[in-house]
Amino acid sequence: MPEQKFDLIVIGGGPGGYVAAIRAAQLGMNTALVESTHLGGICLNWGCIPTKALLRCSEINHLLNNASEFGFTIKEFFFDFKKIIERSRGVAKQLAGGVQHLLKKNKVTVIDGYGKLAGQGKVTVEKDGKTIDTLSAPHIIIATGARARELPGLEADGKLVWSYKEAMVPETMPKSLLVVGSGAIGIEFASFYHNMGAKVTVIEVMDRILPVEDEEISKFAHKQFKKQGLTIHTGAKVTKLEKGKDNVTAHIDIDGKAEKITVDRVIVAVGITGNVEDIGLDKMPKIKVDRGHIIVNEWSQTGESGVYAIGDVAGPPWLAHKASHEGVICVEKIAGKNDIHPLETSNIPGCTYCTPQIASVGLTEKAAIEKGHKVKVGRFPFMANGKAIALGEPEGMVKTVFDAKTGELLGAHMVGAEVTELIQGYGIAKTLETTEIELMHTIFPHPTLSEMMHESVLDAYGRAIHF
Amino acid sequence: MSQPATEPRLFASPLARRIAAEKGVDLSAIKGSGPHGRIVKIDIEGAKAGAAPVIAPSKAATQASSGPDAAQMSNALGMTYTEIPNNNIRKIVATRLLEAKQTVPHFYLTIECRIDSLMAARKGINDKANGEYKLSVNDFIIKACANALNTYPAANTSWTEDAILQYEHADISVAVATPNGLITPIVKEAENKGLRQISEEVKDLAGRAREGKLKPEEFQGGTFTVSNLGMFGIKEFGAIINPPQSCILAVGAGEQKPFVDGGEIKIGTFMTCTLSVDHRSVDGAVGAEYLQILKQYIETPVSMLV
Repeated sequence: MPEQKFDLIVIGGGPGGYVAAIRAAQLGMNTALVESTHLGGICLNWGCIPTKALLRCSEINHLLNNASEFGFTIKEFFFDFKKIIERSRGVAKQLAGGVQHLLKKNKVTVIDGYGKLAGQGKVTVEKDGKTIDTLSAPHIIIATGARARELPGLEADGKLVWSYKEAMVPETMPKSLLVVGSGAIGIEFASFYHNMGAKVTVIEVMDRILPVEDEEISKFAHKQFKKQGLTIHTGAKVTKLEKGKDNVTAHIDIDGKAEKITVDRVIVAVGITGNVEDIGLDKMPKIKVDRGHIIVNEWSQTGESGVYAIGDVAGPPWLAHKASHEGVICVEKIAGKNDIHPLETSNIPGCTYCTPQIASVGLTEKAAIEKGHKVKVGRFPFMANGKAIALGEPEGMVKTVFDAKTGELLGAHMVGAEVTELIQGYGIAKTLETTEIELMHTIFPHPTLSEMMHESVLDAYGRAIHF
Repeated sequence: MSQPATEPRLFASPLARRIAAEKGVDLSAIKGSGPHGRIVKIDIEGAKAGAAPVIAPSKAATQASSGPDAAQMSNALGMTYTEIPNNNIRKIVATRLLEAKQTVPHFYLTIECRIDSLMAARKGINDKANGEYKLSVNDFIIKACANALNTYPAANTSWTEDAILQYEHADISVAVATPNGLITPIVKEAENKGLRQISEEVKDLAGRAREGKLKPEEFQGGTFTVSNLGMFGIKEFGAIINPPQSCILAVGAGEQKPFVDGGEIKIGTFMTCTLSVDHRSVDGAVGAEYLQILKQYIETPVSMLV
């Protein structure tokens, strides 16, 4: 079999891999991308994108249910759950086609098959258990992503106990649901199914939901969910799942108290683990793996020269935009570009698409104090913002954390309508290293939700105008 | 005539500027690692980790130059050396003069003065002094500089953003080499002092400067500097301005040489003086006119009696 030679081989076509491949092609590298399942990866096919399509439907449902607040009388309406799922799949499919087009346009060689490291500078491609191709390149990027973490006794079976994947394509709408884990994935599904009318219970082992978010934001969201009718147990864990014919009885330990709850379905969202198995790492002893993730340095380099790992397989935060950005930095470093800096983790925004939405960037107030910063904290409530009230979305807040000495924006934390579209404003501010002065001098348009971002900064310095 | 230089725009993030100001780091000496060389926070933090920035008594400190680091280079190439720690004077000289060279638009004017009359006057006065005092050539030059500034105060100035400050008195800083480095004690209001007083003051100040016993007010301030390397046989040189002053006079050695006078070749003693000038506050013609007046006082020392 002739060996195909490239400048760069990328294994995995998710948001890390395909972006790295396109950037490499832009920089003049002859690039191959090996993908076994579908271009766009989990994000596009089973994650970010299809869930947003689902959440859009749940928002519409929510609006229709509350139409009278806006002066509408809707006597009766129905939703077709099957059509909602179909729409979500359609959106994913459309975008996956887009990725294919982009790779072609940039002259990336896409190879359909399962890529595996096969020694220094070599990758084999398998299809249906047979080796169909051997590729070689001086640089190889592993971008194989991650999958749902499984806990013993809580393994997804695809029928009664779901992982994110089954939760996205159910045949019928469950009437009751138990969500195990209250990170971004768990909370998004909890919020979606709740908005669609299911009775949802959330179990979180930590003492608060959304444990990576600022404590104040977690608390605020918790209160909102409770008000909406979700049941949330923190400091709780599932000890046993008893499966019935079309339901599951979960044994729960809540702060040492045993309880039982019977639900139609269970969604397990207890974190993710990197896809490090069966990709040929056994042939590369210098590549080290720690708790399901490949260990890399600040330039995504593994212990083996010429082999890199980006995105979920290289560790948290497990975010598509982190993977893409790592891919770009990694490739630019390989190409010897100037002016590149390692990824600044405190500049990576995170978004959770529940109702209300949650978005943040940088350090939480607590983390900032723990790092030794003397902080100035600003807060501004949605209730005091004209646009929020006009939208009928008066629940939410914008919180900012500054270093008291230097005025550095250390972190920003938001909860409320459309905050996922707002957070990049603070992302730019952080990347440009602005201080509170430039943010105060920035003119925010009226009337917008973004005015709250201004007011929160002003509030940190005791200067808020509208609160 | 040279034009004042416009400062190139310095690209630095707002946060980098804030931290630099707090730490007293001069941004102009820092190499930025951000996009298009923009100075970002990490560059300032790096400045702290490296050689500690020097704090001058008056102004913010300047980082070491952004060129290759001598220690790094020497170590890399295996060159051997002895480390002589920088004392305070060395650090201040480095900071102040780096700042002067980088931020003050210098230009230079050179003039030759015949000093036969000055030498004769000096000999006459010293002969009559019975050893009570002994004037040096430099004492005459200090006096001449002060009188010329008094006559022509446009050269006795400092540049500020809002205004040019024109001083009422000629406080002459005199460059003195000490074992610890260069220091410039001041003969204050030299235009009002006689040669003998100037001579005695310089002697006292220089002596105490060498022992490190000057009081701060004796070397801080000054409106004009005289630096004389004539005693080392240096013919002429250009000095670096001592900010915030506008001018410094670099004085070379007196030497005999032939010259033409009324169609005849004669022998005279000549001395070359070079004035370094801050173009922001003193234009070329102004500097030149000042030198003309100075030359008059030096060549006709008796006019200093007037």
